[in-house]
Amino acid sequence: MLARATARALAPLGHITDVLMRGHDARHALQEGGFDLVLLDLGLPDVEGLELLRELRSRGDNTPVLILTARDSVDDRVRGLDLGADDYLAKPFQIAELEARVRALLRRSQQRTSDALCLGTLHFNIRTVSATLDGAALELPRRELHLLESLLSQAGQLVTRETLEARLFGFDAVGPNALDVYVSRLRKRLEGHGLRIRTVRGLGYLLEEFTP
Amino acid sequence: MIVIEQSLRRRLLLWLAAVTLVFGVALLIEAYVSARRAADRTFDGLLDSASLTIGEAIQWQDGKPLVAMPSAALQILATPSQERVFYALFGANGETVTANAALPISDAMRRAAHAGPVYADITHDSVRLRIEGREIDSAGWETREPVQIWVAHTRGGREALIRALMERAALRFIVMALLAAALVWLAVRTSLAPLERIRQLLRARTPDDLRPLAVSVPLELKELVIALDQLLERQRASHDRLMRFIADASHQLKTPLAGLQSTSELALRSTDAADWHQALVEVNHGARRSARLAQQLLSLARLDHRHDEAFVVLDLVTLARARLIDWIGRAASQAHDLGFDGPNQPVMVRAIAWQLEEFLNNALDNALRYTPPDSAITVGVVTTAQQVTLFVEDDGAGVDEALLPRLAMPFERAGRQDTTGSGLGLAIAASVATHHNAELAITRAGVGGLRVALHFKRERLL
Repeated sequence: MLARATARALAPLGHITDVLMRGHDARHALQEGGFDLVLLDLGLPDVEGLELLRELRSRGDNTPVLILTARDSVDDRVRGLDLGADDYLAKPFQIAELEARVRALLRRSQQRTSDALCLGTLHFNIRTVSATLDGAALELPRRELHLLESLLSQAGQLVTRETLEARLFGFDAVGPNALDVYVSRLRKRLEGHGLRIRTVRGLGYLLEEFTP
Repeated sequence: MIVIEQSLRRRLLLWLAAVTLVFGVALLIEAYVSARRAADRTFDGLLDSASLTIGEAIQWQDGKPLVAMPSAALQILATPSQERVFYALFGANGETVTANAALPISDAMRRAAHAGPVYADITHDSVRLRIEGREIDSAGWETREPVQIWVAHTRGGREALIRALMERAALRFIVMALLAAALVWLAVRTSLAPLERIRQLLRARTPDDLRPLAVSVPLELKELVIALDQLLERQRASHDRLMRFIADASHQLKTPLAGLQSTSELALRSTDAADWHQALVEVNHGARRSARLAQQLLSLARLDHRHDEAFVVLDLVTLARARLIDWIGRAASQAHDLGFDGPNQPVMVRAIAWQLEEFLNNALDNALRYTPPDSAITVGVVTTAQQVTLFVEDDGAGVDEALLPRLAMPFERAGRQDTTGSGLGLAIAASVATHHNAELAITRAGVGGLRVALHFKRERLL
């Protein structure tokens, strides 16, 4: 039931899903390759799910893997991530959560193979260091461009203040609020385009898609 | 684990055996010495009689002693044990008057015999003999020269007497030892009887019979029975708590399941798509609620039944930040203003990582569920001289002060029925606190909402 629901949930996003109920079949399919993303349920009836992951990574296959499991223990999580899983989702989960994780993983894996960073209508070309928003060129000062690139390269994930400050200012001595000034400027530019920069007090910022 | 040691009865008997052995050997030695003394006294009397009889038979001729050995004297010494009898008479100058063997009589013995009768153990021809020597003044007219009379016989009679005396002593001793063993056995049996009674009482109980023991026991066992009763009392309390929890849990589980069932049944009867949609919304709500409840029940069960986990020294700041970052990525937190408030350096505590994560997960989940969008939720670590605090607080509506103490009880939701919460989150937090010997403080936050904090005592830290 879960597999069927998952497949149905992913179809509208334009994905084609192959559902394999047995670890043995999954192993075969993974050996064939050609997948953009693997949703790996650790509770397979015949093969230990983590074993499949280990095999995949030992072949040098970097297909993103999202682990689904009912075992929400720290050990399993750590073991899965150590073996090279890209993310982890404990059952039961909401379909919206799954969709978000799948989107993020696919985006990240696509970025690995192209010069472009994309999120929603925002496109950023790493080579030319230029951005477009809703198809229109986004003219930004140098530091805002760096800020945008830093946030965009880890879209949907937290980027710590320390990382951003190092990126923007290097060793320059700046006031404690300098970063916030740049963030609020950039935030204003992105407003109304389905994107937002979320502040996590005491930690940092993240850029994400946002529907008000 | 129960280690069966040596049986009490056996241990006591072994002690008794050791004591008996030592005392027995001493007693037997003493018995032998006195038996020998008694035998010597008795048979030395015979030697006396024999030597005196011989003394009387001495006649003097030309100043020389002459003896016609009286057979009575020899018969006295022969005894019923067929002893061999030896004699020797020496004149005043030490010359042998008459003798039937060359007995090894030293000069010292002869000198001693001067003063009075002498008794000694000697060996002649590798046969052990008892010898007596005495000096007799001749009562004649012509001479007054003393004559030494030495008589000896083998020890057969003496040995026989010693044997007889020893046998009796040994028999008495064995009877005594056996009697003592029987007494010990009996004493152990009677003094263990109350334990046996307690055992039977406990055996006869049904698993859920946890009443105090009704049994009369000697003073020495009072503490044991009190301890047993206290254990039973604790078991009863925990059993009652568990039963209450199961009753609550099954009620809580059944409610959404019943809702799911009836909602879906009604929807299946209807042909109106609008009804189906409404039903699906309700089904989805119910499913989420039961899923969360099952997850939390499992988490609570895991907390309550794993006591063998090792504490490790970990950094609270890293742990709290990692948890918060994990929650930032979740859909549930999109509409809230999350933040971290803590020092920049590590704060080390001895703890079980997954339990603290579970604490944060539940406190964060509660805060997200029970506060309106845009509320600020802060995860933080505070250190003071006395304690280290891990907390989650929000600026939501908060909870009525009067209800705060009840929040950590299972299934308590302070009257909030409007969310898919189960009322177990803070019960889990309380359990985590207990495991870490920390204090769970549920208070009104300075910013207005609820503050859930774990206070670790400083000595707990490393």
